[in-house]
Amino acid sequence: MSALDRYDPVAVTVYFMAAAGVAMFSMHPVILALSLFGALSLYFTRNGSNGMRSHALYLLLFLVMALINPLTHHNGVTVLFVLNDNPVTLEACLYGLAASGMIVSVLYWFRSYSQIMTSDKLLYLFGRFSPRLALTVSMALRYIPLFKQQAKKVNDAQKALGLYKDDNPIDAMRGGMRVFSVMVTWALENGVITADSMAARGYGVTRRSFFARRCFGAKDACLTASALVLALFSVWPAAFGGVRFVFYPALSAVPCDGMSIASYLCYGVLTLLPSLIEWGDELKWRFLKSGI
Amino acid sequence: MALLEVRDLSFAYPNASQKALDKVSFALARGEFVTLCGATGSGKSTLMRLLKKELQPLGSLEGEILYDGKKLGDLDGALSASRIGYVCQRPDEQIVCDKVWHELAFGLENLGFENGLIRRRVSEIACYFGMEPWFEEKVSALSGGQKQMLNLASVMVMQPEVLLLDEPTAQLDPIQASEFINTVRRLNREFGLTVLLIEHRLEEALERSDRLMALKNGRLIACAPVREALKEIGRQEDMVPYLPAATRLCLKLGLKDACPVSAKEGRALIEKRYKRDVTALPGEDRAPSGKPALEFENVYFRYSRDGKDALKDLSFRAYENEVFCLLGGNGSGKTTLLSCAAGLRRPYAGTVRVFGKKIRQYKNQSLYDGCVALLPQDVQTVFLRATVREELEGACLQDLPFDLSGLMDRHPYDLSGGQQQLVALARALMAKPRLLLMDEPTKGLDPETKLRFEDVVRSLKARGIAVLCVTHDVEFAARVSDRCAMMFMGEVTSCDLPRRFFAGNSFYTTSFSRMTRGLYDLVATLEDAEEILRINGERDKACS
Repeated sequence: MSALDRYDPVAVTVYFMAAAGVAMFSMHPVILALSLFGALSLYFTRNGSNGMRSHALYLLLFLVMALINPLTHHNGVTVLFVLNDNPVTLEACLYGLAASGMIVSVLYWFRSYSQIMTSDKLLYLFGRFSPRLALTVSMALRYIPLFKQQAKKVNDAQKALGLYKDDNPIDAMRGGMRVFSVMVTWALENGVITADSMAARGYGVTRRSFFARRCFGAKDACLTASALVLALFSVWPAAFGGVRFVFYPALSAVPCDGMSIASYLCYGVLTLLPSLIEWGDELKWRFLKSGI
Repeated sequence: MALLEVRDLSFAYPNASQKALDKVSFALARGEFVTLCGATGSGKSTLMRLLKKELQPLGSLEGEILYDGKKLGDLDGALSASRIGYVCQRPDEQIVCDKVWHELAFGLENLGFENGLIRRRVSEIACYFGMEPWFEEKVSALSGGQKQMLNLASVMVMQPEVLLLDEPTAQLDPIQASEFINTVRRLNREFGLTVLLIEHRLEEALERSDRLMALKNGRLIACAPVREALKEIGRQEDMVPYLPAATRLCLKLGLKDACPVSAKEGRALIEKRYKRDVTALPGEDRAPSGKPALEFENVYFRYSRDGKDALKDLSFRAYENEVFCLLGGNGSGKTTLLSCAAGLRRPYAGTVRVFGKKIRQYKNQSLYDGCVALLPQDVQTVFLRATVREELEGACLQDLPFDLSGLMDRHPYDLSGGQQQLVALARALMAKPRLLLMDEPTKGLDPETKLRFEDVVRSLKARGIAVLCVTHDVEFAARVSDRCAMMFMGEVTSCDLPRRFFAGNSFYTTSFSRMTRGLYDLVATLEDAEEILRINGERDKACS
């Protein structure tokens, strides 16, 4: 369990929405670079070198997306070379890089987010708004694996009783459909028992409450507040025409002033915040261990 | 004063010609533990559901049900939900939520309790039931016994005064079942919880029961303290199989005055009243003959690459003309062995041969055509059609060793457990297998149905079908098998003729073997026990 897992789901959600949200609505290279760096740093801090293969997949995605733009869009004034009578421009290349950087960074934010938000925490998030919705989600999470498990059992049983006469795909499909149709009957049939069990325990007697196993504490408030404030300051200059970057037809940026530097700084702190929290926790443990 | 009282209760389902319950009257006092037994279809479950307001079936009801002096129907919803707890047979389908902690909180959430109280009650109950190690788990990761314990706990968390248990142990193995019953007994002893329990394995339930009730065709034929009720039930010929082993033995021997309940009492009685001149029955020494039907040779299997071996260096042979029973605890690999034998899973080392031919050489599903059939544990998985008739289309029903003609137009799911078992068996026999594999065929069957099923197994053997049966049911194995084997941790650790097998085991053995251990040798079944005691005869009264 790492440090972020101990934060309240509401605080975590607010933080990730802020960090990824700013990146999503900005095409400024500095902001995107900060977002990508922060997202990667958080993911690597939490997972170390595990799952290197998945990173290769994201890298490929990044490259493909970055390449597609200059090959399909020919705006821009700086022609690098001509391919099949189509000009490939510097502006389109850079735009492609920025766009794919944005997408990949947001994907990495959500990878970390989904790691932190286990089903329990998601449920807690829903439960605050609607206990009923939370129950529905919980039941779905219970029934999908149960259904799959039973389908496997039925298929095995049928196989060993000779449902499939031959090893051919048509026969397999026919058998599979038969199994699926009986699974619907099974689900309805066993749903009755579940409904009984729910009624027996007073479902629908009064307004449902929701059992939350955690509460929103000071450090959660701290994270929420700092995420909101930092995000606000990051986008503040943009509202007054600062921090703007234009790709087409030629690259141009609003000159760097104090406002925009403050904005970059704020966003930099925002994106590194979770990594800092994790590092701080790690250091604390090292210190504690050396004390033992 | 009685906590729950039933007065002249009659009930009939709509369009049913017979009453499901006929003038049933009884009362449960606060803190009483009452066990209810009876055949499938005798109205036990109907009675149980009528006692729980939320689950009352539709139909015409006469008479009245009083809870704490008030009519059950007038009880406030929240009160009725929390005061009367109900757990039924199937562990999986009663669970609503995906995590253990959430399931525990479910009932309290329904009643709209506030967070602090839920937290307190849930932690308390999890602690009492020893659920801490799996409190955060997904319910799908639990064993059947744990699931049923969770069902009990999530009812207990609502602090009921009465607990209605409808065959809660039917789907559990003997060890899980006894753990469950013990927990219920502990709740009754420590909190004075009133319990009404439907149970087929009476031995353990009766140790703690204050009273025993029996239903037959909707009528209450016994409702008295345990021993009196047992005598009462024993007078009805067809109810005898429901009695505990020791009681049955006494009835067989015609000892009218004694009524032992536990194996311990049975043993004391035998020791005191019977001579010990002949200690063993004339021996049986059959060597298995014929060709091997199924051979396992140093088979290894695991479910995942990094997992543990589910089958480990497993070798055994089952022959053409025998009923072979495999016994063993939960997770010893019995079901895995069956799926390997049926070609559903492939071992990573070793060979499996069916009728002398390697299982991999059966191509194009030919293994399932006139060769092997597997009857799975959950027989519901066998049915694909809406009626039994469609299900068994093309089968020669005349050839079956049992009669299904009355069931042909019913939906397979609507049949009782025993009937489902027979229809599934008929379905398995359609492919004319020469080797029939069965996984826990007696699970959840009432004792009478079980006896009938034993005859079916014997008649299959008489038709030349080799039967390999995986079971927890030691009494069943002792009665039908030609050889028994014990599995432990993925290996076959012993294999012998049933009498020698059960005489050699001290713990994993039949009640009759336990009752006669050290007094007589090689006793496994009721018939063995009766025979040896009759040979020896009673001691003279003067001596005793």
